[in-house]
Amino acid sequence: MGIYIHVPFCGSICSYCHFARTAEHGASLRARYVDAVLAEMELRRQSCAVIADRRRPLHTCYLGGGTPSELEPEQMQRMLAGVLDGLPLADDFELTAEANPESLSASVANAWREAGIDRISLGVQSLQPDVLQLLGRQCDPATARAGLDLACRSFERVSADWIIGPGLRRATLLDELSEAADRGVEHFSVYILEVHPGTSLERRVQRGQVRLLPDRQTEELYLAVVEHLASLGIAQYEVANFARPGAESRHNRNYWPHRPWLGLGPGAHGYWGRRRYGNHDDLQQWLAAVESGGLPESAVDPLNRPAIRLERLILALRTKKGVPVERLPAGALDIARGQEEGLWTVSADRLILTSLGFLRIDTIEERLAGLTL
Amino acid sequence: MALNRDKTRNFCIIAHIDHGKSTLADRLLEQTGTLKGKQLQEQTLDSMDLERERGITIKSHPIRMDYDSPGRGVHTLNLIDTPGHVDFHYEVSRSLAACEGALLVVDAVQGVQAQTINNLYLAMEHDLTIIPVINKIDLQAARVDYVMEQFIDLIGCDPDEILLVSGKTGAGVDELLEAVIDQVPAPTGDPDLPPRGLIFDCIFDPYVGAVAYVRLFQGTVQKGEKIKLFGNEKQFEVGEIGWFRLDRIAQKDLSAGEVGYIATGAKDVRDVRVGDTVTLVENPCDGPLEGYVEAKPMVFSGMYPTDNDQYDDLFEALQKLQMNDAALTWEKETSAALGFGFRCGFLGLLHMEIIQERLEREYDLNLIATLPNVEYEILLKDGSVELCENPALLPDVKYIEEIREPIVRAAVITPKEYVGAVIRISLERRGVQTKMEYLDTERVNIEFDLPLNELVVDYYDKLKSVTKGYASLDYEYTRNQADDLVRLDILINGDMVDAMTCIVHRDNAYSWGLKLCQKLKELIPRQMFVVAIQAAVGTRVLARTTVKAFRKNVTAKCYGGDISRKRKLLEKQKEGKKRMKQVGSVEIPQEAFLAVLKVER
Repeated sequence: MGIYIHVPFCGSICSYCHFARTAEHGASLRARYVDAVLAEMELRRQSCAVIADRRRPLHTCYLGGGTPSELEPEQMQRMLAGVLDGLPLADDFELTAEANPESLSASVANAWREAGIDRISLGVQSLQPDVLQLLGRQCDPATARAGLDLACRSFERVSADWIIGPGLRRATLLDELSEAADRGVEHFSVYILEVHPGTSLERRVQRGQVRLLPDRQTEELYLAVVEHLASLGIAQYEVANFARPGAESRHNRNYWPHRPWLGLGPGAHGYWGRRRYGNHDDLQQWLAAVESGGLPESAVDPLNRPAIRLERLILALRTKKGVPVERLPAGALDIARGQEEGLWTVSADRLILTSLGFLRIDTIEERLAGLTL
Repeated sequence: MALNRDKTRNFCIIAHIDHGKSTLADRLLEQTGTLKGKQLQEQTLDSMDLERERGITIKSHPIRMDYDSPGRGVHTLNLIDTPGHVDFHYEVSRSLAACEGALLVVDAVQGVQAQTINNLYLAMEHDLTIIPVINKIDLQAARVDYVMEQFIDLIGCDPDEILLVSGKTGAGVDELLEAVIDQVPAPTGDPDLPPRGLIFDCIFDPYVGAVAYVRLFQGTVQKGEKIKLFGNEKQFEVGEIGWFRLDRIAQKDLSAGEVGYIATGAKDVRDVRVGDTVTLVENPCDGPLEGYVEAKPMVFSGMYPTDNDQYDDLFEALQKLQMNDAALTWEKETSAALGFGFRCGFLGLLHMEIIQERLEREYDLNLIATLPNVEYEILLKDGSVELCENPALLPDVKYIEEIREPIVRAAVITPKEYVGAVIRISLERRGVQTKMEYLDTERVNIEFDLPLNELVVDYYDKLKSVTKGYASLDYEYTRNQADDLVRLDILINGDMVDAMTCIVHRDNAYSWGLKLCQKLKELIPRQMFVVAIQAAVGTRVLARTTVKAFRKNVTAKCYGGDISRKRKLLEKQKEGKKRMKQVGSVEIPQEAFLAVLKVER
C-alpha cells in the first residue's frame, strides 16, 4: 500500500495550479495542519484496521502539494514520525517529498534526510526566465540550478518536473533536460501544460495575454522530449514519466495498477476498499472536519466492478507495460492500422502505446470506454 | 332505445391544422352537457399525448351528444372528429363519407389554408352540407371581414350564413348547434333492409380485439350476430355493439343512420380495413359501398436501433403499433452499416414522424432512421417491372431500362410576397408549375407537379422557412413517371454505407455528392485515424473529403482524484456515444445519416 500526504502551503501561487493550496500561512497554522494530519491518520487507522496489517507493508509514502518544503523541518519530522508510527515498512520503502528549488535549503535537506525522506521531486518546470515568469514561478534559472545541485548532492534519488508550454524552444528545452540529467536527475515528469478553470492562467488566456502553443508544436516538443530522454538512457514508462532503469517512482507504480493508498490532508484522494474518497479541498473545511473528529471527505466514489475494470484498463494503457490484447473489447481498435500509423505496438500479446499513441490517448480511451461500459 | 332518425344529425369538423378544431369540439361537448367539468380537458377527444402536444388529431374520435334544442326537443348529434393532416387523406375521406354535414372551420387570423380547400373539395365530393364557421373571433388579430370574403369566394355562400364562434370562450356555440340541426339533413335509410355499414376507422383493444367504427346506412345489426366484410370476406361475431361517449357505451343494436362501433374480436386490425363495408352473413346487402381503397404507404425509411440489443424491443414495438395502425407497414432489413432493422412504410411524413416519436417515447428506444424515400418502379431490360423502396437495393444499372418515380400534385397557398421563393425552391426540386391563381388580393395558390422523393426529403421544411411559416402545403399522388435517375453511394474509408445511399437525378449527382461529402465532413467528428468520405455513382467517384485524425488529445496528469474524474468523463461520453453508429472502425453520429436533409441546394 501507499500513503499520499498533501501539504497545501506555497510561497506563491503558480498561474496554472488548480490543486488545494494557499500562500497565506504562518507557523501556527502549519503546526495546526500537522496536528490535523496526525488526527486524520488516527481516524483512518480507526476506520480501517488493515492499515497496520503486517501482510500489507507500506511501499511508498509521497508528500505532494502545494509545496512540502514550505513546512518547517521540525514539523515535517513530527508529521512523518506520527504517520508512519507502527506501520510495517517494505524493504524497498520509498519516501518522496516534492520541493521547490527556492525553498529547498541545505538545512531542510539535512532535516528531511533525517526524517527518512530518500527521494526528492523537484518542481523545476523550466530553466528559461520568460517561461518561469509565465508559469508564475518565483524561481529564477540560477536558483533552479542551485536547487537541482543541492538536491542531487543531498539525495540519491532525484526527480524533476518540467512543463511543455508556451515560449519554449525545442533546442533549449532539450538542453535543459540534458543539463538536469548531467547534474544527477534520474527521473523526469514532463507535463503538457493544461489550462484549468479558475486559474489565473485561464483568465490570461481568455484575455489574450497568453497564447498557448498550437497542438502541432506541442506534439513535436513532446515527441522530441521522449526521443531525447531515451537517448540519455532515460526511458518513458508512462504518458508523462521517464526514468533510468530501476528509478521509476514506486508511488506511481503503486497506484497505477490500482493498489490501495491512503490520502491525507486537504484535497488528498485515497483509494481504499473499493472506494475512492476525496478530502475537502479547502484547508479550513478540512481542518474543521478533522478537528471535530470526522473523516474530512467531500466526495466518495464507490467503485463498482465495471468502473474498476475501466480504470484498470485506462491506467494500464497510460503505461509502457500496456494491456493484454485479449482484454480489449472486441473490435474496439483497428490493431493493424494503429500499428501502421505508429499509434501502438503489439508485443507478447500486449498492446503498448507509442509516444504518438500517448498523444491521442483520450480518444483511444473514449473508444475503449464506449465499448466496455 | 329506438332511434329517432328525424332527430339525428351526423357531422364532422374539417379544418386546417391549428385552426382550433379540437377546442371547438370541447365546447360542443360542454354546451350539450355531454361531458362535465372534470371530464373535460384540453382537446378532450385527442387521447394520445402526442395529439395534445402537437395540437393535431391522428385518429378519428366519434362522440354522441344529446342536445336539447330549445322548443325542438332532444336531438342526437354524432360528431366525428377527423385527422386533419394530408397524410391521413383517406381516413378523412372515410369519415366524411359517414356524415351528412360538415363544419368548415377557418381560423379568423390565418384565413383559408391549403388543407381547408382540400378538405372542402373532399366534403363537396361526398355531397355534404357545409356550414362555414370562422373560429377564434376572440383573438385581437382576428380578421373576420377578410375571412368572410374568402369564404364567399370559396363556397359562394351569403355572409349571414357564416357562423362566428370562439372555441375558447364558447361564443356562438349555441347558434352553431342550432345551425347543425337546421341545416344538416337527417340520415335516411331503412332499418329493416339487410344492413350495410361503412367502417371509417378501427382501433385495437386488447380485451375485445379490433373495434370497427361504423356508420350504418341501412338495416340493423345486433350483438351476437355474424357479420362479414366485403373487402376481405372475413367473418366475425359481434362481441359488443354500441355508441360513443368518451368511452364506448354498449347497446343491444345499431340501426340505419347511427354512428357507433362493433367489436369484432379480430386479433389484427389489418383484418378490419378502413373503408370496407360491413353486412350480415345470413342476410347480406347487395354489395359494398363505393370508395374502398387499401391504404398504401408512400414514404419509406429504414429504422434501426442504435444499440443492437434493442432489436427485439423494436420488433415488438412495431408489432404493437401496427395493431392499431393498419397503414404502417414494415419488413425486416439488414444494413451493412446499421445492422438489423426494419424498412417501414408510412402514409406520409407526418405519419413517419409520429411513428418514430412514439417508438422513442412510448417504447424507450434509441433509433437511427435513414433518409426517407419513396417507392420506385424499375423497368428492367427484360421487360419486367420491379418495385424498390430501398435505394441500396436498386438493381445494377446494366439491368435497368428505366426508373419511374411517384409524382404528386403539390398545392401551396402562400402570401403573394413569397411567390418567387416558393417557385424557386420548387423548381430546384424538379417541380413543374401547373397552376397559379390569386385567391384574393393577398394570397396565391400555386400548384406543382413534384417528385414525391424531393418533397419528402426537405420540401416542407424549406417551404416553411422561405415563407416564414405562412405557406401551407397539400399534396396528392398523381402518377409514376420516368426520369434520368441514378443511385448515389457514400463510401467511408472505402466501405459503402448502404444507409446513406440515395437516388438522385443524374444532373444533380455531382453537386449533390460534393455537398453531401462536405456536410458529412462537418458531421463526423475527428477520430483516431483519417476518415475518407467519397460519393460515387457506380464505380465513378464524384467527390471526396477527409476528416483529419485527432491531434494532441491527452490528459497529461492522472493522479489521485484525476482517475475518478477521468472515468466519470468517459462514462458521460459513453452516453453521447449511444447515438453513434460504428461503420467499420469509424464512429458516425446519428445526424450524419440524415446529412442529406441539411444540404443547401
